[in-house]
Amino acid sequence: MSDSPILSIKDLHAKVADEDIDILHGVNLEIGRGELHAIMGPNGSGKSTLAKILAGHPGYETTSGEVLYEGEDLLELEVDERAQKGVFLAFQYPVEVPGVSIANFLRTALQARLGEGEEVDLFDFQDELLAKMEILDMDPSFAERSVNDGFSGGEKKRNEILQMAVLKPKLALMDETDSGLDIDALQVVAKGVKRLQEEDPDMSVLIITHYQRVLQYIEPDHVHVMIGGQLVRSGGAEVAADLEAQGYEQFKTPATG
Amino acid sequence: MAATPATDTTGTGLMEGVTDHINREAVESLAADEPQWLRDRRLEAWSLYERTPMPTTRLEEWRYTNLSRKLKLDRLSLLPWEERSYSPESAPRRLKDAMDQDRDASGHLIELDGTVASVDLGEEFAAKGVVLTSLRKAVHSHPELLEELLATEALPAGLGKFQALNAALWTDGVLLYVPKGVRLERPIRVSRWSSEPGRAVFSRTLIVAEGASQVSFVDECLSEDFEEQMLASTAVEVFARDGAQVQFVSLQRMGTGTFHLSQQRTLAGRDSTLDTLNVGLGGTTARVDLNARLQGPGANSDMLGLYFGDGDQHFDFNTSQDHVAPNAKSDLLYKGALDGRAQSVFRGVIKVHRGAQQTDAYQTNRNLLLSDRARADSLPNLEIEADDVRCSHGATVGQLDQNHLFYLMSRGIPRELAERLVVMGFLGEVLSRLPLGGVVEKITGIIDEKLHG
Repeated sequence: MSDSPILSIKDLHAKVADEDIDILHGVNLEIGRGELHAIMGPNGSGKSTLAKILAGHPGYETTSGEVLYEGEDLLELEVDERAQKGVFLAFQYPVEVPGVSIANFLRTALQARLGEGEEVDLFDFQDELLAKMEILDMDPSFAERSVNDGFSGGEKKRNEILQMAVLKPKLALMDETDSGLDIDALQVVAKGVKRLQEEDPDMSVLIITHYQRVLQYIEPDHVHVMIGGQLVRSGGAEVAADLEAQGYEQFKTPATG
Repeated sequence: MAATPATDTTGTGLMEGVTDHINREAVESLAADEPQWLRDRRLEAWSLYERTPMPTTRLEEWRYTNLSRKLKLDRLSLLPWEERSYSPESAPRRLKDAMDQDRDASGHLIELDGTVASVDLGEEFAAKGVVLTSLRKAVHSHPELLEELLATEALPAGLGKFQALNAALWTDGVLLYVPKGVRLERPIRVSRWSSEPGRAVFSRTLIVAEGASQVSFVDECLSEDFEEQMLASTAVEVFARDGAQVQFVSLQRMGTGTFHLSQQRTLAGRDSTLDTLNVGLGGTTARVDLNARLQGPGANSDMLGLYFGDGDQHFDFNTSQDHVAPNAKSDLLYKGALDGRAQSVFRGVIKVHRGAQQTDAYQTNRNLLLSDRARADSLPNLEIEADDVRCSHGATVGQLDQNHLFYLMSRGIPRELAERLVVMGFLGEVLSRLPLGGVVEKITGIIDEKLHG
């Protein structure tokens, strides 16, 4: 663990945009470089909302609090700027983009990170893409398929990890990547994430999940429990084990306004 | 209508759309030096025009295109035919740029303000009997062919008000004739240019592909931008004889202020392939009526359409898959994206006549709205009189939503580029079905330009 945290969330309150539905009620969280955190919580606890807010989803509004990413006010940045600076969100429900191949999509995303006059080297890109696909047990023909178009649930999730592998984020937010995956697919995804962390030990990961299962394959340094829009408990891997044994009922939903 | 009041001399009709300039005298003067059969045909068409009421939005086929608001016939004058020639030096920029984007062609014809100004056909094709010529000249060079097929079997004046108007008032156009067994690898190209506001231009195209021949025809319409309205009317008749393979592509890239009216009829013979692509990108109002008649057993028609509107553009596609013969197939895919306050109408009917057994007919129309104020109406329809058929139709109107853009942007792709990717991906499906080199690149380039604009 090095110097300053990559992400620092202080007393973050947020609501659904254009509606009076509060979701986050004062979230505090620090993630150091190279750390792997997990936020666990039941449905509707606000954990996915937190991930979306960090990525800049326009459907939510932060009402107070602050988020610093590498010391910079993250909430001031546009969605694409956040991504270009190294934030990556693996979607719970990836969106279909008919007619745009995965290769074209990723090349465009990489190109957008470059300055004017710089070009993605097509051969390097192709090599890189194929190598990453191999790690994720994906057939090379996958690269020419339209993004998520007609993909099975498992293929969509795998495609999210492929994008993460190619775009090499500094902070990866994985929003329920494990949901809907069988054990085999889960292991492939976990292998992919581990490989990425080996390649870049400074990469930080925040895993959002309902279930403890995924944490058997990707071991977290820190586990947090979110209930009613707040982190009610934080600790090491033992928190997850405890949850597995006792469930979420042990935490009383904090009174909200 | 605001048409100049005219006397109804026949007592049988309404004389709607008869004006100071668009009237019987104009037809008579056009026909003055023409052979008797053509003179008769024009005057008969004119009589039908006079007797046919102007379509209103009360008609199902014109429900979403209000002609009394969108077409000011009484403000238009006719553009008389006159000798014109084309020179690259003095050619308008827009026309020249469009032609520079074209790849090699088997033949090229240029029409300027309703007059064919240049025809260039490869010698080897001329030697094989291929004819590419001005329709006006063909009246004298190929009288039998024209007398038999011009505005008779495919687009007779009786089909409707505007079919009649074009049949009465056409000044020039294109005749393409491909003899039996002759195959043209590279397309025939037509470039049309309109430069005069306040005018109505009437042009016809007659394509006859004899048995087992093969040809692609790419027709591109361009114009200046106009403050005053300009009407470009084209009537297209395509005959694919037994076993012929024909592709007809219409690239509508008119400037602002234009009303583009395109009537098309394709007649597909036994075991022939007759594919069409209608691309709507320009113009203020554009109406396409396409009737694809599968009249020989085993005929096959792929019908593709692509449109992209912005500003206050209005596109109206009225298609018909007309199955008369058994064992024929038609597959229609029209896709459009609409930005600004642009509006599109797609009305398509699959009509399977009694006896057209073993028909396969499919129809899909998909629309993507890029703005809250854009609008798309889609009206698919089936009329089936045979019992052993496979038919399907589907229509969707979707929005480029927040989630779509968020997904792309969350990968670091800026908003504008994200929109472009989505639109290109969406429309690309149509182009991927067109195996016509050069044209696809050209269309992609034009859409890209429009997205940047």
